[in-house]
Amino acid sequence: MLGSPIMSVRNLAMRYGGVVALRDMNLYVGPGTIHAVIGESGAGKSTLVKVLAGVVRPDSGTIRIGDQTVAIDSSAIARKHGLGVVYQDLSLFPDRSVLANLFVGREPLRNGLISTREMEARSRTLLRQLELNVDVRAPVGHLDMGERQLVELARELLQTPRLLILDEPNSALDRRETEHLFTVLRGLKAKGMSVLYVSHRLEDVFAIADHITVMRNGRDVLTKERSGLSEADVIDAMIGQQRDSLFPPALSANASTIRPQITVEGLSGGRISGVSFTARSGEVLGFAGLEGSGVEDLFEMLFGLRKAQGGTVRFPDGHGLPKSPTEAARRGIGLLPADRRCNGLMPDRSLAFNIGNIVAGARNWGSRRYSPKAAIAGAARQIDALRIKSLPDAPVNSLLAGDQQKIVIAKWLETAPQVLLLDNPAGGIEAAAKRKIYALIRQMAANGCIVLLRSVEPSELTNLSNRVLVFHRGRVAGEVFGAEMKRRTVLHLITTGEMPEAERPKKKLVGSMA
Amino acid sequence: MTRLDPTPPLAGSVAHPKRSFRLPAELGPLAGLVVLVAIIGFARPGFLDQANLLSLLETAAYPGMLAIGMVFVLALREIDLSVGWMFHLAALLTAFLLAAGINPWLAAFAGVLLGAGLGLVNGLLVVALRLPAIVVTLGTFAMFRGLAAVAVKMQTSAPADQSGELSQIVHGKMFGAVPTAVFVFVAMAVVMQFVLHRSRFGYRVQAVGSNPQAALYAGIPTGAVRLQTLVLMGIVSGLAGVLWPGFPVTDADQGGGFELMAIAAAIIGGTSLSGGRGTVIGAVIGMLIVQVILSGVTLLGIDATWNPFVIGAVMLLALALDRLVKALRQRQAVRFQENLHA
Repeated sequence: MLGSPIMSVRNLAMRYGGVVALRDMNLYVGPGTIHAVIGESGAGKSTLVKVLAGVVRPDSGTIRIGDQTVAIDSSAIARKHGLGVVYQDLSLFPDRSVLANLFVGREPLRNGLISTREMEARSRTLLRQLELNVDVRAPVGHLDMGERQLVELARELLQTPRLLILDEPNSALDRRETEHLFTVLRGLKAKGMSVLYVSHRLEDVFAIADHITVMRNGRDVLTKERSGLSEADVIDAMIGQQRDSLFPPALSANASTIRPQITVEGLSGGRISGVSFTARSGEVLGFAGLEGSGVEDLFEMLFGLRKAQGGTVRFPDGHGLPKSPTEAARRGIGLLPADRRCNGLMPDRSLAFNIGNIVAGARNWGSRRYSPKAAIAGAARQIDALRIKSLPDAPVNSLLAGDQQKIVIAKWLETAPQVLLLDNPAGGIEAAAKRKIYALIRQMAANGCIVLLRSVEPSELTNLSNRVLVFHRGRVAGEVFGAEMKRRTVLHLITTGEMPEAERPKKKLVGSMA
Repeated sequence: MTRLDPTPPLAGSVAHPKRSFRLPAELGPLAGLVVLVAIIGFARPGFLDQANLLSLLETAAYPGMLAIGMVFVLALREIDLSVGWMFHLAALLTAFLLAAGINPWLAAFAGVLLGAGLGLVNGLLVVALRLPAIVVTLGTFAMFRGLAAVAVKMQTSAPADQSGELSQIVHGKMFGAVPTAVFVFVAMAVVMQFVLHRSRFGYRVQAVGSNPQAALYAGIPTGAVRLQTLVLMGIVSGLAGVLWPGFPVTDADQGGGFELMAIAAAIIGGTSLSGGRGTVIGAVIGMLIVQVILSGVTLLGIDATWNPFVIGAVMLLALALDRLVKALRQRQAVRFQENLHA
């Protein structure tokens, strides 16, 4: 690496309670380069960013900026040392104007009053450079996602950082917006700015980075110049040994003469329009699409959380869409929400209480009494079956993310649902738990359940599903199955909405990840 | 609260973290009550007279019933400010009907029904407008209070007919010495504790209060649970009002102030303000603590005008304790996890 690093991190370690997020992280970012950090969800990328931003304090390790060892105890100190962080979840105030967002917390004053004119003057040049042509007095909520990302970027740039840190900056951006962001970043690099680009998207990292560091299990496992790396090398480093064993072999479905199915025809509402498909019992139907492509809306409709505006749906029980989640649960339709903490768990209550959610909470048959004894028995059964490392009366917030997700699955399994909608079931959990959850998905399908699986990881979809429906801007852009079911095809569809024209042989990719 | 049963052996080779025996949560408030009674009894031995204690129990019974209902509302992560005036209106209606010579049982039924109706108004507004109950009941609090004032003004106060069957029961003593209201209070506490912890309805109340969003995603009928709980609160308030001896004092503050007492008692007893957890027995103890303190204040010769101040202060003290306990529990959870994964 040329020159002395502008920022370096050595032997960084960080634990949250019992969870090790970083164990021995090293990183050197050179001046005037774009350095990418890539790794799977849960590899520790976000924690690294939080440490650098001063949000959390590491347990051990050193951070050097320039030739000075620093302790970043707060976000103000991070700023002072010239670290500007742009977060993954946009931290803007949607109801306030662009200007108000740009200068939040340090509004320029004139005669003791906030001066918007001053703000405009200070930000004009920068916004022009970023090619952000928006009404700066309009609320940020009116902008599209790409513009919002640029506003956030501009907010950091206004403080002239020495190192710009971007945490999954384009997770909500479409192709065009991403290209624009990359152009901006290259321009910044040309002016001598260093950028730390944290992502789990291979394509993006290869498109933008000069150097790549791969993280796995809280440590750096590979650092090299991009030119010296192939995608296959990076994938290998990201997933390590688990690659082959992560996805269990397919199970053969129990042969049955009647195959119940869901038929969806011309379904519209929310962000989706004219969606049609059929899903049969015993198969896993994958759903892919960027955030905002409509898959979330589809799942909400199928679970009764959102009203449809048109189209017909027929569930295996012969009825249409449920009118409420309660009706859905009573009809054997389950949803595993993507946001497990907010929508899936009662964190301060026991495992037994949580696992009883549907049996005692949603269903209306059986006894009007609630028996803690029965709840504990049910919980013990699920804990055993799903290999959850805890006891029925322990509070759920004492569990690891993977075990928490198993609790959410367990509460549906207790009711033997006919249809399961899984919204990104392996998001943000440890590899071992992932494997167990993948095996469970297979098993549920084999037991005759209709499984609809949405995932943000194309490799999950291609490995677990029988077919994958790709959504793009609220429509089904294509269906991928059989020999076509490759990660690359799915990714292409997700980002462009079109099938790749010709399946020309690409650079050799490894094994099941291809 | 429901500590039961040896757990079945776990799969795999996980070491069993040692489980410590957990004491019932109501023990803390109970200890507080005992200490208070001891202190006041020591300072003013007359306090420990059987008659004095029974009258204290009776004073505790009316707001105590409201506190029992309030436990459900708080466990739902809501709060009902209108309870005092639902109580007052039910008491007024019953007294009017008795004075008009209506069958006492019918009058009592009408009072309870009125309470249920007022609770239904609260519940429908909460569910239909998707507003927090604290906002809705702030409005209905003022409305019910106004209604009570109007009703009193229209009726040129007729003292209740004391000869009715109901009045006899209400004013009579059961088993020789126990006032009826106390008997109903205790019976209600036992039944409601059971309902909260051993019925599907109670489970749902706790689930919705623990995380309303997760409850919705689990298919729990959250709207229905909210409605039912607020109606239950109305019924409880109505029942307490019906039992109120005679005509409620026309002073606008009678029954007002009960909401503060009920909320304070529930919180002192260990029901969490952040929802999801509640204990009826704790609320009963909490109400006794409130009453003991108030009567102690009187015995020590402090003017009763100080009462609201005292109740508020005790409630805040209980909240501070609750925070402390939560912080400790959090630490314990972290330690539990570390034991498990170390």
